[in-house]
Amino acid sequence: MGNTKSGIYRIGIVVLVALAALTGIEYIVAVTFNSAAVLFLIALAKAALVLQYFMHVYRLWSEEEH
Amino acid sequence: MSSVAVSIHESYREKLRNNRLGLWLFFVSEAFMFGGLLAARFYLWREDGVVVRPALDQQLGLIVTSVLLLSSYFMNRAETAIAHDDRENFLSGLLITAFLGLVFLAGVVIFEWGGHIKPWDGVFGAVLFGMTGMHALHVLSGVIFILIIWWNGRKGHFSADRHWGVEACAIYWHYVDLVWIFFYPALYLIGRVVH
Repeated sequence: MGNTKSGIYRIGIVVLVALAALTGIEYIVAVTFNSAAVLFLIALAKAALVLQYFMHVYRLWSEEEH
Repeated sequence: MSSVAVSIHESYREKLRNNRLGLWLFFVSEAFMFGGLLAARFYLWREDGVVVRPALDQQLGLIVTSVLLLSSYFMNRAETAIAHDDRENFLSGLLITAFLGLVFLAGVVIFEWGGHIKPWDGVFGAVLFGMTGMHALHVLSGVIFILIIWWNGRKGHFSADRHWGVEACAIYWHYVDLVWIFFYPALYLIGRVVH
């Protein structure tokens, strides 16, 4: 997908779709077998996506500039 | 590049590194507070050792969660746009994010808080309002932050080379979303319904 503007926009859309899908799965898990452990794991997966792709946590260790 | 230009560039890099570290340290301190609220929820919302929760509007929970996720996407789009000097998408992305933030706030404050549970309804009311209240306060401050950035952006501030203000605003907004990623299942999904 690269570092081009359209590539980064595309990554944003993919992350949004993944977050929406995980939220849907979360809801289905809650209404079917309500496992706190599974719900917690799904929340962790969503958090990892946000941290990596939206919050750019890796910039703390890299020299990435504007 | 002249030696003065190199020195200014290095100084900006150094400042950027320190700013990022400072912001993340702030998030760590905030995580203790939100973590404390989460711990209170799981400690207090129990009956006979079983985790319980009040009957909250499931549709509302799903809608406000989706709205906040969507707002994070537009915030990311705005940050990407300014990093590529695309001012039109930058400004529109910020406005859409702020609007979605206000929709989230309306969902929580008008509809959730207007429901059958009140702050004085024992541990259910206290924890629900404590968690959603503290989070809503962060959403509100995030919307104000976004509008300040939008206002400055309209006046020509920020560029592809220098936009720490935008980056900080975006990371703050995503942090608010991150907190809700854990609050949503804790409030709406986990445990047996009792109230």
